[in-house]
Amino acid sequence: MTHARFQEGRRDFLVKSAAVSGGLMVGFHMPAFAQAAGSGPEVTHWVVIQPDDTIIVRIARSELGQGTFTGLAQLVAEELDADWSKVRSEYADVNMHIKRNKIFRDMSTGGSRGIRDSQEYVRQGGAAAREMLIAAAAQQWGVPASECKAEKSVITHPSGRKTTYGKVAAAASKLEIPKAPKLKDQKDWKIIGTSPARFDIPEKTNGKQVYAADVRLPGMLHASIVQVPVFGGKLKSYDESRVKGMRGVKKVVAGEDWVAVVADNWWRANQAVKALPVEWDVGENGNVSSESIMAFLRTGLEADNVPVARKDGDVESAFASAARIVEAEYYSGYLNHATMEPQTATALFTDDRLEVWCGTQNGEATIAAAAETAGVPLDNVYVHKMHAGGGFGRRGPHQEYTKQAVKIAQAMPGTPVRLQWSREEDMKQGRYRPVSLVKVRGALDKDGNWIAWSARQADQSIIATVRPTMIKDGVDPINTRCFVDNPYKVANFLNEYAMRQTHVPPGFWRAVAHTNNPFVRECFIDELAHAAGKDPYQFRRPFLEGKKDLGVLDAVARAIGWEKPAAKGVHRGIAVVDSYGSYTAAAVELSVEGGTVIDVRRVVVAIDPGHIVHADAVKAQVEGGIIWGLSAIMHEEITIQDGRVVQGNFTDYPVLHLAEVPPKIEAIIMPTGGFWGGVGEPPIGGVIPAINNALFSATGKRIRSMPLKNHGFSYKT
Amino acid sequence: MTSRIGPARIRMPAQAKPGEVFEVRTMVEHPNESGFRHDNLGRPIPRHIVTSFECTYNGREVFSAKLHPAISTNPYMTFFVKAVDSGEFVFTWKDDQGGVTTVTQAITVA
Amino acid sequence: MKRHKHDSHDSYGSHDRHVAGRRRALQALAAGACLLAVRPALATPEELAVALKETFGDREIRRGRVKLEIPRLAENGNIVPTVITVDSPMTEQDHVRAIHIFSEKNPVPRVLEMRLGPWNGKAMVSARIRMAQTQQVLAVAEMSDGSVWSAAADIDVTVSSCT
Repeated sequence: MTHARFQEGRRDFLVKSAAVSGGLMVGFHMPAFAQAAGSGPEVTHWVVIQPDDTIIVRIARSELGQGTFTGLAQLVAEELDADWSKVRSEYADVNMHIKRNKIFRDMSTGGSRGIRDSQEYVRQGGAAAREMLIAAAAQQWGVPASECKAEKSVITHPSGRKTTYGKVAAAASKLEIPKAPKLKDQKDWKIIGTSPARFDIPEKTNGKQVYAADVRLPGMLHASIVQVPVFGGKLKSYDESRVKGMRGVKKVVAGEDWVAVVADNWWRANQAVKALPVEWDVGENGNVSSESIMAFLRTGLEADNVPVARKDGDVESAFASAARIVEAEYYSGYLNHATMEPQTATALFTDDRLEVWCGTQNGEATIAAAAETAGVPLDNVYVHKMHAGGGFGRRGPHQEYTKQAVKIAQAMPGTPVRLQWSREEDMKQGRYRPVSLVKVRGALDKDGNWIAWSARQADQSIIATVRPTMIKDGVDPINTRCFVDNPYKVANFLNEYAMRQTHVPPGFWRAVAHTNNPFVRECFIDELAHAAGKDPYQFRRPFLEGKKDLGVLDAVARAIGWEKPAAKGVHRGIAVVDSYGSYTAAAVELSVEGGTVIDVRRVVVAIDPGHIVHADAVKAQVEGGIIWGLSAIMHEEITIQDGRVVQGNFTDYPVLHLAEVPPKIEAIIMPTGGFWGGVGEPPIGGVIPAINNALFSATGKRIRSMPLKNHGFSYKT
Repeated sequence: MTSRIGPARIRMPAQAKPGEVFEVRTMVEHPNESGFRHDNLGRPIPRHIVTSFECTYNGREVFSAKLHPAISTNPYMTFFVKAVDSGEFVFTWKDDQGGVTTVTQAITVA
Repeated sequence: MKRHKHDSHDSYGSHDRHVAGRRRALQALAAGACLLAVRPALATPEELAVALKETFGDREIRRGRVKLEIPRLAENGNIVPTVITVDSPMTEQDHVRAIHIFSEKNPVPRVLEMRLGPWNGKAMVSARIRMAQTQQVLAVAEMSDGSVWSAAADIDVTVSSCT
């Protein structure tokens, strides 16, 4: 059942390949988690227990830095009553998963689902294993299982008998898996809710972590690719005679809309692919620009009969009777995931067997894409999952990098080929957070009470491209979030959705619609508050009565000292956003120097995810979410000219620099229990609007489009 | 106005022994628009699909099908037929907008 | 050769009316978050049940004699190769009259209806079908003696694991 041929019988594997001549030779150790399935008896498919009491927990989701590799193991270990010091994690083998009829359930990692969607069944796996181990010991001792106790991998009986999990694992593995194992009460949790040392962090900090880009195999070659610069176009022709003679070049392989050069090292492959004369058929979209896209979006705002996503009360009458009406338009542009590790996959095709190494967010998507591309049955495909160098939603649903690597490997059977996109390709061939233009209107009565509002979105749908049957009557259920599911109890509300699809491929950017829609909603609510002459925090509160949103909003207001005057020159902003099952709020303190330099002093984000598994991981996700939001609002934008993406590297698509990080970023983690919310994306929601609201307080300028650099702003460093 | 349907392609042997059971592979070019996709303004793209297929062998039906929107673009179907006598196979596809296409294939059975 | 009446070929018009009426049920299912819900084996949502009843009436749909081969996973579900083989001698006395493909969760439960007879020699057919999302596919064969046999298989569409 071992999946990686070359790894059979080996733990450490050092590669020095004669084929890699003249290039940088890298000694390479196969990381522990990527080895052949840890040997030892399975006590349920979730857990392998070795005779020395080492417990290997199989992880189906992907580690993107968000902590699933450790968190999921904590859930299992808790119910298993394991000695945590002997627990380690390993990725569940994708091929095994297929052969055993998807026994590891869902491998996709996205939507902040890794813990909350898995927790019940992985805990049941741990609990079942525990019952099996106890039953095996009880059987050996000839005593009732109910008289035995298990704690920290040790089973005891009042008679004085004692054994360990490792000693009874083999016997336990033969027993039937209990169908309804008993789960612990929250009050008995000893591992869930703590912060054990994470399994992935040491290697991420000492340089030892092997990313897909680092994979080196004997005889491996390297490929760099160029794809049609205008989305939707095709490859017309290329002249390989011009590169065939270049040093190290082995082969040129082409697809429908791409060409790749394979060479003995990546630098040479990339030099060659840049020198390769290529003719593209750019198709219909060669004239599209950011300006033409804006005009196109505007037709959505001006259309008749725009599909209705939600309608409460009677907005028209409320507006007709309003004392004051506020209207605004907000725009959000394209953003790229810009993962530090560019899209990369290694593939090896031999006879009818295919192996792929990549940092995928979804092992199942990779195995399906690889099998379909190669025309090989799923059973013959082996996916080696690696920790991703940033995922953020880029590496799950979009498997082009896998398909390309497989196609190239098929052209060179028996030779492993590592395809790595150049930074330029990664920037220009993204799957972008889509554009949107939103017209919001709000109505106040004579006392400044909020009586109605509406949001009409002209918006590019992601789901229409990957799962069109989810669109009902023209409404996208994902991109209307924050409006269609907003928590504010206002009697009259209308949300309309005008889909406007461009040729730019959309994708799920970390937090998806909760990156741009909160910018609109929470900033506009501030506009209403100011029009009413009311404090933005107090303005919101009555409409959130009874909602969990109020808890986190109050928490950040308290933490930032909202009710007390700010220091001279310091201004505050606040926002509240729930997403992916969790409730968050953000409060910000900043000052502005010279009218344009923003000095963010303090960002506080509160999150209520119901339960938490790894306390420090949650804190890290909040801090990372704050960084994500700060970067997006100031720096990031992808623009289109002549149908193609303009930006090509971090020089023209900057992300937040270390020097720009505020001196104080704080996480308030306040799980109220009773539900399981996500943590990877929710912290981001309130950050962007809170910054923009504070900026208004500081400058009197209401900004309604991102990034702030386009309005002349910069961060203080 | 009838819609464009086809061309169609058939793969089957040109010769067979009497009683031999052989595979017939068929494909017709057609967008087979399900009706569940949307255009760039979010409007449903109207359904336009192949709805029926019939294969006759010397005038007798040996296979027919009713197709619904979940058939992939360029509908592809295969089936088996027992060789009886020499003659002609006639394949006919029809879509929901009056489009019709027919392909014939000869067979020698000896 | 006598053309036998095929009662499973209902007209397209009546089929469309059914579709309109089912939209509300589908809306209730699809509203809000996209969840890759864990489904119990052999789930039969309402629309599929109705379609089966319409086609087969009160005849029992038994499991067996039918082999349904589809990939366990598909990346986007646009082209899913499906092969159905029915255990039958395909004689005048004992043959397959029809093979149907149904979908559990597509917007339209019927996928394909094929008419066969002893002249096919072998009851083995294939098609390329669209799967809108992770679901179960049902292959049903009607025999010359009126009995109805079936096989079901699960397919996961990986791209539908959205965010």
